[in-house]
Formats: sequence, structure tokens, C-alpha cells
Amino acid sequence: MTERSSLLSLSRRRLLITTSAVAAAALLVSATGFTPAQAADTPKDGGDITFLIDSLGDSWIPNNSAISSFQGHIWGHVTDKLLYVDAEGKVSPWLAERWEQNDNATEFTLYLKNGVTFSDGAPLDAAAVVANLDIWYAGRKNEGINPIGLFPKTYDRAEAVDASTVKVFFKKPTLGFIPTLGYHGSILISPKSIGQPASEQADLSKTAGSGPYVVESWKEGDHVTLVKRKDYNWGPAAVGHTGPAFLDSITYKLVSEPSIRVASVQSGQADVAYNASPQELKSLKEEGFTIATPRYLGFVNGWAVNTKIAPYDDVKVRQALQTGINRQEIIDTVYTPDWKLPTSFIQSNVPGATDHGALLAYHPDKAEKLLDEAGWVKGADGIRVKDGKPLTLTLHSNPYLATSKSVDELISQQLGKLGWKVNIRAYDVVTYGEKVKYGGPAIPTYEVTRSFIDAGTVAGILTNANNGENWFALDDRDTTLNGLRDKIAGAGSAEERNPLLDTLQEYVLDQGYFIPRTQIVQRIYVQSPTLKGEVYNGVAYASYYTAFIAD
Amino acid sequence: MSNAYLTYAAKRLGQAVVVILLAYVFTFVVVSILPGDPITSVLRNPQNGFSEEEIAEIIAAQGLDKPVIIQLWNSLTGFLTGDLGMSMRSNRPVSTLISEVLPSTLILASVGLAVALILAIVVAYGTRFLPKRYGQGLLRGFPSLFLSVPNFVIGLVLIHLFGFQLGIFRVINPDSFWATLFAAIALGIPISAQIAEVLIANLDKEAEQEYAAVARSRGLGQARLFAKHLLKPASLPVVTVIALTIGELLGGSLITETVFGRTGIGSLVQRSVSTQDLPVLQAIVSLGAVIFVLVNLVADLLYPLLDPRVKILGGQKRRPTTADEPSIGSTKAVTS
Amino acid sequence: MTFASNLTLSASTRNSWAEALRMPAIVALSFVVVATIIAWSVAPQLFTTYSPVIGVPADKLLGPSTAHWFGTDHLGRDLYARVVYGTASSVSSALVAVVIGVLAGGFIGLLAGFLGGWVDVVLARLVDVLLSIPKFLLAVIVVTAIGFETINAAIATGVSAVAIFARVTRAEVIKTRQATFVEAAFLSGGSRWYILWRHVLPNASRSVLPLAVLQFGESILVIASLAFLGYGDPPPASDWGLLISIGKDYLKWPWLVYAPAFITILTVLSVNRISRWLRKTD
Repeated sequence: MTERSSLLSLSRRRLLITTSAVAAAALLVSATGFTPAQAADTPKDGGDITFLIDSLGDSWIPNNSAISSFQGHIWGHVTDKLLYVDAEGKVSPWLAERWEQNDNATEFTLYLKNGVTFSDGAPLDAAAVVANLDIWYAGRKNEGINPIGLFPKTYDRAEAVDASTVKVFFKKPTLGFIPTLGYHGSILISPKSIGQPASEQADLSKTAGSGPYVVESWKEGDHVTLVKRKDYNWGPAAVGHTGPAFLDSITYKLVSEPSIRVASVQSGQADVAYNASPQELKSLKEEGFTIATPRYLGFVNGWAVNTKIAPYDDVKVRQALQTGINRQEIIDTVYTPDWKLPTSFIQSNVPGATDHGALLAYHPDKAEKLLDEAGWVKGADGIRVKDGKPLTLTLHSNPYLATSKSVDELISQQLGKLGWKVNIRAYDVVTYGEKVKYGGPAIPTYEVTRSFIDAGTVAGILTNANNGENWFALDDRDTTLNGLRDKIAGAGSAEERNPLLDTLQEYVLDQGYFIPRTQIVQRIYVQSPTLKGEVYNGVAYASYYTAFIAD
Repeated sequence: MSNAYLTYAAKRLGQAVVVILLAYVFTFVVVSILPGDPITSVLRNPQNGFSEEEIAEIIAAQGLDKPVIIQLWNSLTGFLTGDLGMSMRSNRPVSTLISEVLPSTLILASVGLAVALILAIVVAYGTRFLPKRYGQGLLRGFPSLFLSVPNFVIGLVLIHLFGFQLGIFRVINPDSFWATLFAAIALGIPISAQIAEVLIANLDKEAEQEYAAVARSRGLGQARLFAKHLLKPASLPVVTVIALTIGELLGGSLITETVFGRTGIGSLVQRSVSTQDLPVLQAIVSLGAVIFVLVNLVADLLYPLLDPRVKILGGQKRRPTTADEPSIGSTKAVTS
Repeated sequence: MTFASNLTLSASTRNSWAEALRMPAIVALSFVVVATIIAWSVAPQLFTTYSPVIGVPADKLLGPSTAHWFGTDHLGRDLYARVVYGTASSVSSALVAVVIGVLAGGFIGLLAGFLGGWVDVVLARLVDVLLSIPKFLLAVIVVTAIGFETINAAIATGVSAVAIFARVTRAEVIKTRQATFVEAAFLSGGSRWYILWRHVLPNASRSVLPLAVLQFGESILVIASLAFLGYGDPPPASDWGLLISIGKDYLKWPWLVYAPAFITILTVLSVNRISRWLRKTD
């Protein structure tokens, strides 16, 4: 007895409506193709674009690099996924045409599209999918090929029933499995490439995917040039186009200075600049450039508070922190109105996110009152003191978010007015990884920048149960949280899970376990006005599969 | 060739080998106290969501916990047999990474050196032959000025002026002729200052010597006088300075390549430092040391042959910068 | 030291001593600049009423004006105040670098030059090794090893300068040792350490001083370069190199780069000029 989850059937229904509308419109408009994002323009074939990017990441071993903010762009064009997740978190078919699950979400059956091939000629069949699932789950650790971090740890095995049917088994209910297939780590690679040793996999030109583009040339730390695959015709229906891409080539070129990336696009030397400084966006918009600030599905940018470190073991101090931050001022000063105030600790576009903005409003008086009640008295220098100890907060700026330092500086001014003494530490990526960990003994607040596809992910970060990440260093001390965690993890459908998620969001914010700052935009795009039709997916990557150059 | 010269050459060669090996060990010691490694840094990317246990398991699986002394031995024997190991960051052979980027840096460094030489000669010529009131004093200040401007500031100004305002080169195509030239100018300006200082000092000295005065009285043209009697003798110390600036060119390329977006040794260092990719850093620093030592070895060996005034006494060389003279690497210091 | 002695020789023969001792206007100006810089680092609050840390977010990215001489930054802070308050850290870190170079290098040079023999041979090779690694590369590696902070950048810069000071000191020590008056002191039975202290050290320090002053200027640049590459203090520190490095992300507002760059250049130029003057009057 199997049935599809209603979340998915809902999206399927919506999708059917969308696609039939698209088909009807396509008949009316023209026979050359159709792009929902830019209905006014007719896509035309040809053209080359240059995308300026701050880094091309480290290793090109697919498992080790697909989640990178930088390499993810290339993988998104070179490879396909089983499912497509759009910017609203809506899951729709791609290379898996349909799927089924059993009642308690421990067995899934995927039905694959026929006729799909990798660029090395190998068929993308059930056996290929099984090979990919296995390496996502386990990697080959002794060879230096890592597992995919967010792939469900409850995975048991996968079997090829026939050439186009895959059955996947889990040890425990895993509602998150289906959305995970649309996650940026879950890219399908040719079994031949998967079988290669790490040093071969690290050579990007030797890895074959099934995507609309193939790697023409690349140079470490310099560029990757992609050219379109002429026989491609299995694009995701959700983007309204399934044939070959329009643009002939895409070159990802590394330019490390943000201002130079932007100036290059301004002077017409390139087409897209990645990660521009938010301060420049307003004037760029006025000059007619296309600005995109897509939000990914995931946690908002904010702090996971370590409840083991005094004074943050005191709920009143945490609540003072929650109400003592002027989030609007952060948006006005560091960002632009394209950034959104947080309404929860997960982004508002995540299915299951609910609006708790009232808990996050700026009430400096209330914050001061809470601190007074907690026994923190303002001294002569404006710093609050209790038992001879000053009220301090040490922030560790997140190196993965360019604006993090500026936000930290601004918040330190805001909290300074309330009587906090705020210190800022900034490490490079490697040192940060070494020294800054959730719940670390010197880490009162850990700055979160993390995307996910399924809201069920939150169950895995709340406590230390089941190898949980224990973001708030609560262990299992908070029984309310433990209860919510278990119910969410074990939920078999979205209807059952959504009310639980709502309760959890309110509880976590009210307790001041998580202090949101703003909704996160980790990927900013400045684009030449003639380039149109790009699509942003659930993890905010721009896909130029549907893009074209307008006259 | 005299016996004394051969003894001297053999001794000098031996020294060079010792210095290269010691430089290798020294670098190994410094980089092995780096706190992190690229593998953990990839694992700790928050997007990955690995737990501490999983990270520890993966690290152990790759055997990254061998004693340092064994790692040094493996690394040193590898280096001696020409095997530079694998990059921990990109999982590709270090020799491949370096050979991919070396040509770009060599081009930048050679053009940079050419720019520096031309600039230095122009400035030096100017200080000698411009009438005082037409800015001779100002020209004499040029080397000081060139040494005082951070080369990333020069780079940023050049990019914005010539790349974006005037559109002379495409910033995203940094290997084109014009982009290379401007990067070379940014790299060459501080180095030209050092060469110009030496040139000016030696010109001043030579100019006072009698033969110059005699030549002048014979009515030689100023330009010919400069070229024939002054530039030639002054150029010997300049050769030495050039040998010494090899290190500066390599170091300077680190900043220049970053600013101009060139893919070269400098940007490879930047990427390797940010992920603490020890094998690559080790290889590059050793390469720098090898180049520096070899260039200076050649200069030392050529010197006694080029200039008869330089005598070899009991295996000791006597060129302006020898082991017992302080000027190696301190050209800035002695010339400003 | 060949080049230096050439220079000194030519300078002293060309100009009369009296002329050389008279301070040219440009040197006087350099001293004024340096004095201002020192004043900024000792008592920044006397030179500006703005806070370098707390700004008015609404006043962000204003151009230079009478209210804000160098304009304001992306958080609405007065850039002039940030430059003035950043002076102490910029100056003291360069000082740390020079002190490390002079002390460590001087010690090595003194031992090598004074003791001679195998000590000299061993130390000379050590110095050769340090010299063979490009200075800036060495600084980058060292700062990576000990952590990205301004003080560590200063230490790294100092380490990369050790070899130069060792060379100069050693040469000066050897030169002085061979001088007639030191030979005479030995012959008259003076103790080695007394002679070292009384005769060798003062003479050696005479040529080390201009080099140290020059190294100070260079250290400012090297530390700024390290900051430019991101190896400096976390915010809200406002060392000049950090200010330039932050400013480069906002090139639409060029004063954020040019103002701190101008101060840096002016300071280094003045210091270099003073060093040259010191050498000439030596």
C-alpha cells in the first residue's frame, strides 16, 4: 500500500495546471520556445556570456564541491537532478517523472525518464541512479571522496527494479528524501566518472554529467567555459523549456575583487557579476542593470545561541538580545530594500515557515527592562555589570557572508546603547572552521548561513539526539523541544508536520535560542539588461539554461 | 680558467645546494605549524552539515595524522626525486598546478623587469642631464616616491583609469597585451626605484672620475657620454640588483596578480594560503628559493669573468655583493 | 656594504659637511609629517571629535566636506577619525616589525661578525636561507602560520627583515673589528665584551639606524599589503591598510581608498626622506 505525500501531490497538481497553461501559451505565442520568466521576449538561439565569479572553489570532485557556493553554478549547468525545486520550495519532476512512497516514508520508488544520456554516452538509467545514491550516502572516504553532507543518514540501500525504476529503502521515516533529490549536492554523474579515482575526478574535464552544457575548457583558479549540448531535451518542465539551451556558451571567469566585477559589467566587458556589494545595487538599478537577490530555502541569517555560556543561559538576556536588535536599520544601512526582515528562523519562502515577526520587533525599552530584571546594572561607562562581570558578547563574523562584518559592527553599536560590550572576531575560512563551532566553549553565538530544501532539516539541529548538531548546546535539557523534535522527525506527511513546525518556530524564537538578523541573500547577481530569461532555483543559483540575449 | 676560479665555483655550487635544502626544511617547519588543512575546511563548510564525528571519521580514513618527522622525510625525498605531491585542496598533482600557472607569472615578471629597467634608466638619465631648474631635484625624488606607494594602490588606479575609464584593456581578459603591460607597470614601479637608486649612485660616482671629465672635455655628446662611459660601468652593480629583485618580482606578483585577476603563482599562493594547502605552499616557496639561489649563483659565477677588477682570493669572491657583504636583499636599504 | 658606502662616499665628497648638516626644507617637512603622525597615534582624541567606531548609519558614504574631511564610510563613520585612530596601530605594528628585525637580525649579525669561525659559517647559511625566500612570500606564510591579526602581520614582517639586519650588522662589526682603534684595544688587553660594547656596537648602530628608519617605512607598506590581502585585525580596527582594503570594495566612493592611501604614502615618503638625510649626515 503506497501513496504520495499530499505536499507532493499538491505541487504535482499545481504543476499540471502550470504546464498545461504553458503549453497553451506556447501554441499561441510561437513555435520557437517559451520562457515564463520573460514572457515579453522571444528567446533566440546563439550568443555567449561571461559570468564573473569571486572564486571557483577548491576540488572539482563532484561530491566534495557540488555544495560550494561557486562550483554549484557550474554543476547546475553540467548536471541534472532527479527532481526540480523552485524558488518557493515547490518540488516537481525532472529526470524522475514520478515517484511513490510508502505510508511511513521508509520506502520510495522513482520512475525515470527514458532516453536520457550522460555526455560520455552512458545511459542515465536505474543502475546509474543507484550508483549515485550510494556514493552520495557513503562517498569513498579513504580515497578522499566525501559523502554528501545533507544526504539522509537513514539511507539503507537502493535497488534497480528495471532499467527505469529505482527502489530506495530507509532505516527510519525520511520525509526529507524527495526534496533532497533537488538539493544542489544531489547531482547525477556518469557511473564511469564515479568509478574514477579522486585525482581523475578532480579534473573537471573528465567528469560527465547529463546537463544542457558540457565543459569545453577550464583552468584552475581562472575560468570554466561551458558549451551547449545540442542533443539535450530533458530540461525540467517547471522552467517551461525542455530542449537544448539557447546560449552557445557560458564562461565563468574568476575576478576576486567585487568592485572590479561590477565595473566590468558596467563597462560592457562581461554580462553577469556575482556577489556585488549591496551598497552599489541602487545606482546599478538606476543605470538599468538587472539586479537579482534571490533568497534560498534555508535558515535566515542569524545566531544560534549557546545556552551553556553565561549570561546566555538566562532566558531574559536572550530575549533582550532578541528585542534589542534593530533589524530594519541593518537593512537600511548595510543592505537595500531587496532584503527582507526575518519572520522566523527559517526563510519565509520555505514551505512550512510561519510569520512570527512580532517576536522580532525592535523594542529597546523592553530589552533594557529585561536586562534590569535579570540583574544587569548599567555602570558609569554605559556597560552593564552583574556580580562584577561586564555584559559581553563576542561575535565571530561568518566568512561565508561578505556583509557579515558590517552587520556585526552595526549590531555592536545597537547593543552598545543597551549596555552590551560587543567584541568582533573575524577569521578566514580555515581558521573559522577550526575555532568556531556550534556550542563551542568560547562561542556564545554562532552565525548561521545554511540552506536546506526541506524544513524537516530543523529537527536535526535542535539537540544532540540521533547525532543532532545541538546548535543551542541544550543537549536534552529542554523537554518541550525534545518532544517537538521527535514529532517533526517522525511525521509522515506535511499536514501532520506543518502545525508542529509552527509551534517550534514560535518556541525557539520566544526562548531566544535563535536570534535572526535578516533573511539571507547569499547570492547577488548584477546582470546586463540584454541578458534575459534566467531562472533561480530553490538554492538561489542562476540557471542560464533558459536564458538568451535579447536585441 | 684558473684553478682558483674552479675551486671557487665548486664551493659556491655546494653552498647553493645546501641553501636550497635548508630552505625546503625551513618552509616545511613553518607551514607544518599551520593550524588547519584544506580537507577539514571543506568538511566544515556549514552548507555541508557534517557532524564532528563524521569529520573525525573522514580525517582518520585519509590518514592525515602521521608524525611530522615522517611527513618531512616523505616530502623531502619526494622533492629530491622531483615529486611534489598532491594538492590537498584540489586533489590534483602540485606539479600540474604549478606548470599551469608558471608561464603567466614568468611573462608578468619579465615584462615587469623590463618596465622597471626602462623606467630606471629614464629617471637616472634625467637626474644627470636635466638642467637643475627643470626638475632634476624632482626626478631624484622619484625613486623615493615609487618606493612609498603600495603597489596595490598603483594597480587599483591603473585598472580604473585605463581599464574602465579609458577602456584600453579588458579587465576580464588579464592575459592580453595591454592588461599585461599595465600589470607589469604596477609590479615594475617599486622595483624600478631600487634599480634607479643604484644607477644614480653609481652614475654620480663614475661621473666624478677623471675619465668622464676628460671625455667631456673632448666634447662628446651628452647622450653618448652617458651611454658609453657612464651607463656601462654603472651597469655591473645593476646586474647584481636585478638578480636580487627576482625575489621581489615573485613576492610582488602575489599582490599584482590578485589585483589584476591574473592566474599565476601569486594567485595560486593566495588560494593555497586561504585553504592552507601545505604541499602547494611548500612547493612554491621552495621554487622561489631555487630560482633566487640559481640566479644569484649564475651572477656570482659570471662576475669574476665579466669584470677583471674583481679578483678571487683563496676561493673567496669579491663582487659587490658577496657572502660577507651585506647588500644582498637590502638594495632598498642602501640606495634610497 | 658596497652600495651604501658608494653613496655615502659620493654624498660626502660632493657636498661639504656643513651643507649636508643643514636640514633641507623637505626634510623639515618630513619631520613635521612624522610628528603629526606620532601625535595622532598618542592622542587621537585631540584631532577629531568623531568616534572611529560608532557612526550615524543615515550619513553613510558621504563625500569629503568641511564636516567630514575624508567623507564617511559604509556605516556612516567619519573616515578622517578612522584614519587618525588607526594611526596608533599602523605605527606601532611597523615599529614592532622593525624592533624584531633589528634585535633578532642585529644579534645574529653581531654573533657572526664578532665570534667568526664556525658560528659565522652556520649563521651565514641561516641568513642565506632567509634571504632566498622572497620576503613578501615569507611574510604571507608566517602570518598564515600564526594567525591573521595585525600584530602577527607585524611579526611576520619583522621576521622577513631579520636577514637584512643580520647582514648589515655583521659587515659593520667585521669592518669595525678590523679598524685600527679596535685592534689597538685588543692589543692593550681589553676584554672582548667590553670592546664589543664600547667600540663595535656604537659603530655598527650608526649604519643600522638609517636602515631601521627605512625599514619602518617599508614595514608600513608590507603590513598594509598583508591587510589588503585580508591578513589584518577584525573590525572595527581601522589600520590604514585595512581602511584601503575595505575601501576597495566601495570603489564607487573613491575617497575611501584614496584618503588612507594618501596618508600612507605621505608617511612612508617622509620616513624615507629622513632615512636618506640621516645617512648623508652620518
